[in-house]
Amino acid sequence: MFADIYAAHDSSFETLLSVARDFSPRIETCGPCEVVLDLAGLTRLFGDAKTIADELRRTAADRGLRVRIAIAGTRTAARLLVRDRAGITIVEPGDEAAAVAVLPLALLARMSNVNVPNVSNDPNDLLTTLRCWGLRTFGDLAALPADELAARLGQTGVAWQRLARGEDPVPLVPSVPEERFEQALDLEWPIEGLEPLSFVLARLMEPLSAHLERRDRGAAVLHVRLHLVKRDGVTREVHERSLQLPAPMRDARTLRTLALLDLESHPPSAAIDRVVVAVDPTPGRVVQFSLLTRPLPSPEQVSTLMARLTALMGEGRCGSAITVDSWEPGAFEMKPFLGSIANSGRIPNPESRTPRLAIRRFRFPIPARVRVDLGIPVRVTSDRRGISGGKVETYAGPWRTSGGWWAEDTKKYWERDEWDVTLSDGSTYRVFRERDTDAWFIEGVVD
Amino acid sequence: MANQALARLENALRERKLDRTLTTALPSWEPRDHSAAIATDMAALDACLRGGLPRGQLSEIVGPASSGRTTLVLQTIAASTRRGEIAALVDTFDRLDVASAATAGIDLEGLLWVRGSSISSGSASGGPDAAMNRALKAVNLVLQAGGFGCVVLDLADVPPVALRRIPFTTWLRVQRVIEGSDTACVLVAPHPLARSAGGLTLLLAGRVRWTGEADRSRHLTGADIGIRIVSPRRRVEGDVSVAAITNDSHYNEPRRHGGHGAV
Repeated sequence: MFADIYAAHDSSFETLLSVARDFSPRIETCGPCEVVLDLAGLTRLFGDAKTIADELRRTAADRGLRVRIAIAGTRTAARLLVRDRAGITIVEPGDEAAAVAVLPLALLARMSNVNVPNVSNDPNDLLTTLRCWGLRTFGDLAALPADELAARLGQTGVAWQRLARGEDPVPLVPSVPEERFEQALDLEWPIEGLEPLSFVLARLMEPLSAHLERRDRGAAVLHVRLHLVKRDGVTREVHERSLQLPAPMRDARTLRTLALLDLESHPPSAAIDRVVVAVDPTPGRVVQFSLLTRPLPSPEQVSTLMARLTALMGEGRCGSAITVDSWEPGAFEMKPFLGSIANSGRIPNPESRTPRLAIRRFRFPIPARVRVDLGIPVRVTSDRRGISGGKVETYAGPWRTSGGWWAEDTKKYWERDEWDVTLSDGSTYRVFRERDTDAWFIEGVVD
Repeated sequence: MANQALARLENALRERKLDRTLTTALPSWEPRDHSAAIATDMAALDACLRGGLPRGQLSEIVGPASSGRTTLVLQTIAASTRRGEIAALVDTFDRLDVASAATAGIDLEGLLWVRGSSISSGSASGGPDAAMNRALKAVNLVLQAGGFGCVVLDLADVPPVALRRIPFTTWLRVQRVIEGSDTACVLVAPHPLARSAGGLTLLLAGRVRWTGEADRSRHLTGADIGIRIVSPRRRVEGDVSVAAITNDSHYNEPRRHGGHGAV
């Protein structure tokens, strides 16, 4: 059975919700002043339907609400009756159709915009049509043959007839209160350093992970808030870090490791006396594994690896490279490595391929001393260890390139003559001369 | 008794049979299927390697500058990503040219690029030793994470003095981490370092090819990479030559980037 509580329009919705939640965890909100409760199992706690209705009304009155209450076997019947009748209305299960049969059809227009799937027609147009047919009450509509109604009005007509019979179009969808996935711990004595903090984080992450698992949620963003106390014991500040996770995850060890690795890179400046860990929840990840594709590392493993590598190598030093739409020599961008590949599982193509000659690029070109004869480089040397230099045996060039002159940032401008040179030691380099400074540089080694 | 054993050992050493005795005691490396090796997608080399570089082993690609080490490594990574695997490159001195990687056919999304500090900028904190140690730690982390088809450690630019300071147990530890896994670990260096019993060593010697007699028309067209394969198991030995070609947009024809061309 279901109870519908309909409050006056000036009532507080929060108060109405609290009244409903005091009686049942399965409630559905139907607008700013209406709540439907599932009464299953409440008779053993409170008694029969009349007692429950009286108790509901008394509780609402205690909190300053004036409410109408209807109890029926279906939510639709309860919602229709509560709109038509003041006070308490109780309909025994099975009598819903008879109870609503006397209600005016105009009530349907107010009801049809909720919980009726696939209804797109304007209810007022439909109501006018029904009135033209001479129908006035729910009973008149309920008595019509369903197939004839469907032939004339389509699915909307059938949906209206089900409402007129007091039937529920969809099951009750309980409203879940917004949950906060947060854990906090006040420390008796402030702690310093990450090692003791790791134990605190482990203690906080485990219940948080269990909470996420119960709700089938994963963490999208992990927030770690450390309340710091300075040595004077008075000054306080908050050290806050937020980690954007590449995939929803809830493994306590992974979350703790990620938080610790991030704090290693961004350590707190003072002792910690309160630790708060919170996550932004997101629906859990559903993974269908396959026997036919290669097993790739899970997002948890990739995240942990990336965090460890970032702590070791530095921010922005690990990831996937992207080519950029630019002719600027050596231009590229970095993006996070996700551990997945677009063609994963593709049948490999066994055809042999001709390798393409690669260059080992110096990220910052090496200044070089180049002796030039008749405009042609004849000797290349450098102070850089590992580049022996020598006489130019073979060369090709110059190829003049320029770009970035349209940019406001003058650092992006380049204009240079490029040469490929093979030196007497057998190594082949790409060198270039900057035309505006007449300086020579080694760009890379052909390897 | 001990003297007799010692005498036999000395005889074996004198006849140079000891090495052979030890290596034949190892189980022979006969990959039953292609999944036991990571192919380079270069037919001649794969045929000589009997499928490619062995998985679960530490192999080496060694040679001087301009010998084709990077070309071969990028080609191997490209073959790995084409098969839907993910790969990792631990780039000790940040020397990867992304355009070359893309031209080689690497699916960049599937390549984890760990960039060391660039020594050319003078910003390498702690010098080459520190950069090398960070790279070794990084490769250890990547291998322990698992799931990678091919992991490359590029030590080609590390000074020989620093390379000599790497304890030999480092390579044994790397070997232990990947043993039994599907990961092929490849070390790029100027000379052999690891000499893993199960892995292969590819000694490279390359020579670039030029086309055009006149100064104005000459350009780089490719390289002939001679590869000598050395295996402790004496089963996969031989020499093979691979021809590499240049990327049109970078080497041949007037260079179009910037829009001026040859002058």
